Amino acid sequence: MPRVVLASALTRWLDPAAAGPGEIALDAAGDTLAAALDAVFSHHPKLRGYVLDEHGGVRHHVAIFIDGTAIADKHRLDIPVAKSTEIYILQALSGG
Amino acid sequence: MSQQLLASTRKGLFTLTRNGHDWRIERHAFLGDNVTLAHVDARDGSWYAALNLGHFGAKLQRSDDAGKTWTEVAVPAYASDDVIASADGKPPKPATLMQLWSFASGGANEPGRIWAGTIPGGLFRSNDRGEHWELQRGLWDRPERMQWFGGGYDAPGIHSICVDPRDARTLRIAISSGGVWESRDSGASWNVTATGMFATYMPPERREDPLIQDVHQMVQCAAAPDHLWVQHHNGVFRSVDGARSWSEVANVQPSVFGFAVAVHPKDPATAWFVPAIKDERRVPVDGRLVVARTRDGGASFEVCRNGLPQQDAYDLVYRHGLAIDANGEHLAFGSTTGNLWTSADQGDNWQALPAHLPPIHALTFA
Repeated sequence: MPRVVLASALTRWLDPAAAGPGEIALDAAGDTLAAALDAVFSHHPKLRGYVLDEHGGVRHHVAIFIDGTAIADKHRLDIPVAKSTEIYILQALSGG
Repeated sequence: MSQQLLASTRKGLFTLTRNGHDWRIERHAFLGDNVTLAHVDARDGSWYAALNLGHFGAKLQRSDDAGKTWTEVAVPAYASDDVIASADGKPPKPATLMQLWSFASGGANEPGRIWAGTIPGGLFRSNDRGEHWELQRGLWDRPERMQWFGGGYDAPGIHSICVDPRDARTLRIAISSGGVWESRDSGASWNVTATGMFATYMPPERREDPLIQDVHQMVQCAAAPDHLWVQHHNGVFRSVDGARSWSEVANVQPSVFGFAVAVHPKDPATAWFVPAIKDERRVPVDGRLVVARTRDGGASFEVCRNGLPQQDAYDLVYRHGLAIDANGEHLAFGSTTGNLWTSADQGDNWQALPAHLPPIHALTFA
């Protein structure tokens, strides 16, 4: 099933019992990005508010990469993903 | 229990403890994270800390053991069809929580009730200590909201909430830049009540429009709740009739510009301000940091400077950066350059905390 990797900037806000040191990788059942995210959020409910805003869009300063390519539309998450897909969630970086 | 002071800073929440006249930093929480505001609920002793994590949004944490441990609770949320609009020409856009900007506890007969004002300008109510929040549609859905202006932030916001100690159903809030509003039914219905305020920066025909008044902060005297003070963008205003009308207080020394105001909890005629050069500069007048104090309802002001830097001081104090304790004896203020001063004698003398803190957003006595 797809693998979701959470950057350390995110994992430090998870329940300490669930979070490992640094980034963590989770197997997430689902055939779309939205489904895979929901699978992760079902185990870590608080994480939803860190990755998505209250309307379900990816936060302005959060980036999601699917197999190395950043998603282009933060409000369209019905992107198909394969069992071998790797989804990276990290804080968007800008200059400085 | 010893007195404590919570300093919300750009890089964490610092808890200070007082020993005599001396304050020292006892602990910090959320080190490295932007803590924008703290709230102490005197009814049950719980502490709240608002964080703004930038990438990951605004968050709220609650402590039930005076800051030793914290638990994340819910934050207010806007619905998908809520929009932010302002009358200064910005196009409407979907409303999302940008910042938790003010808190107030409900009445003694309302355990667990917390009010929160946000940027954008929604007022939220929780009846369970922050586990759930409800937008107060009676205010949010008022058509006049579309006339509000953004202040220093991109959207109008609620920075001041006063719960009337005589009747907790009566709320008065202040908005940058949307004037002062009052509800007498626990937030169900609202009236704007900024009569007497004026905005010198507006075109002449809009100067007295109550909907665009840029209140920087509003405070209420606990013992005389009809007495309120406002630090406004272009001056200081006072009400002695429960915010129904406002009078300008024109002679604040050395200037009428500033963000912060504190009122004595037992004496409504005594109030403090931290003046600055107006508007475009926002630094102390002549590089001298002072506190202005009135003891006669604004008829006259003393300039308190003992213990404050009188040369090359460029500290700015934000609206929540000046605090007074429940007895009205101890004051504290913190600046955007991370300096913090305390006074044990109502501002006659000040002591600098021997620390170099991150930029200070807010101070709260516990």
